[in-house]
Amino acid sequence: MRQVLILCCIVFAVLLAGTTRAEDKNYKEKHAEKVKNMEEVFFAASRDGKTIKGVFVEGNSLFNGTTVPQERPYTAEELENAKRSAERNSKIFLLAGDGTLYYPTLPRGQAVTQSAQAYRMPRVLTPEQKREGLFTWATMVPMVGRTVEVYGDVYPGYAGVKGIAIKYIAFEGEYIVGKKD
Amino acid sequence: MATKKPISFKAIFYTTISLVWIFGLSAIGHIVMVLIEKYNPGIKYDFAWTSALVGFFAIYSTRFMKSDGWQSFIGCLGGLGLWFAFEYSLMYGGHRLGVTYTWNGSYPEYRMMKWTFMLLIMVFVYLLFQESVRCNFIFFLRRKLRLMRGAIATGKISNYGPRTAFEYIMVTWTFYVMLMIGYDEELFGAHSWFIYVLFFASFSVFFYLCYKLLGYDRFGANLRYAIPTVTILWNDIEILAKWGMLKEPWVHINWTIMSVIIAGFVISTYLIVKDLRRRKDGMIESKDIT
Repeated sequence: MRQVLILCCIVFAVLLAGTTRAEDKNYKEKHAEKVKNMEEVFFAASRDGKTIKGVFVEGNSLFNGTTVPQERPYTAEELENAKRSAERNSKIFLLAGDGTLYYPTLPRGQAVTQSAQAYRMPRVLTPEQKREGLFTWATMVPMVGRTVEVYGDVYPGYAGVKGIAIKYIAFEGEYIVGKKD
Repeated sequence: MATKKPISFKAIFYTTISLVWIFGLSAIGHIVMVLIEKYNPGIKYDFAWTSALVGFFAIYSTRFMKSDGWQSFIGCLGGLGLWFAFEYSLMYGGHRLGVTYTWNGSYPEYRMMKWTFMLLIMVFVYLLFQESVRCNFIFFLRRKLRLMRGAIATGKISNYGPRTAFEYIMVTWTFYVMLMIGYDEELFGAHSWFIYVLFFASFSVFFYLCYKLLGYDRFGANLRYAIPTVTILWNDIEILAKWGMLKEPWVHINWTIMSVIIAGFVISTYLIVKDLRRRKDGMIESKDIT
């Protein structure tokens, strides 16, 4: 019986290992520090006009001329098709309010990068949004067609299309999903 | 069947404890993954490998256990360990393949899991014809589809551990695939008739299974039957969350609610272990075999 109890303890230990390690004070502190830093940087940049406000648009329909989001918002049908295409990895761009098109990319310096569209962008929340307990991150596909404010490194890009490595994102409402926007 | 007996307080007690334990296990499993992702994602694949190894050895250890209660208890934990590893393997695969989140918010690993449906069907077909399987649902299908060529399987099962682990994995896998297929807007959709039917069917079947569960008045069979019972209820929780009507405390890290769930899990674990230790000489009863 003792062996069995030892085994149980091991299994529980492993089950809770993730919690314990992830809940380690250092990790929690580091996380809180990261969030605080993110908010300070983002809100300062927003005040100084260094953030970019725009809409996420789906690349295929934009470049083949099916939709013209520069001139009018997506219709409901266009939006659904755009999101479905984005879900299948067609490239998503950020169309800024001033008409500049940004190609979201991951930061320069990484030889192999993951798909930017699968990347969780840390979300900056207002105090009110925090109280509501909204999602603390977002990915691009569900955000197609929505207005966002982003902060990140901007690269010169090519032929007028600039690159952007989004560091932080802010937007109104809930990221989730399941509810049709 | 054991359900023909009058329902005793003892059976209610055992059923409640089993349900609380399996529910707590699922909730803790979820929050562990959420906390790792939030605070320390760097350890997730180490955790996955550790879970796989511990899961395997937990299942292996059941071969040395005499009581079906212990076999089921440890087998369930072994199944959870392997399941963790499976989910993380899909997460890794999704990362390598650049799988995105869906536009209605489903995670890459679950998008990938959805397309294992044919594999699931193949395993299920095997189980349907595998005569030593004692699952009540498969018995039902065998009867209705006239698949049995002889009498149903009876006799002693020496080790319930691997069976319980497999049951945990299969039940969890099946319902994940069903939900993901239901959420797929190109097939059905989160607000489709399929999801509504699944929601109401799960809700009603949960109570039916609880009633059946009351027929098993000892840990072992009770724990094993609590796995599908809780997982079916879990469908409703997932659907309510998908509809935006419920904020899952294990996803949104609501420690007040999670504390209650963890306390329930700890107390039920204590009661199960205490009971199993008391019955250390207990052997498998014939009613547990059918």
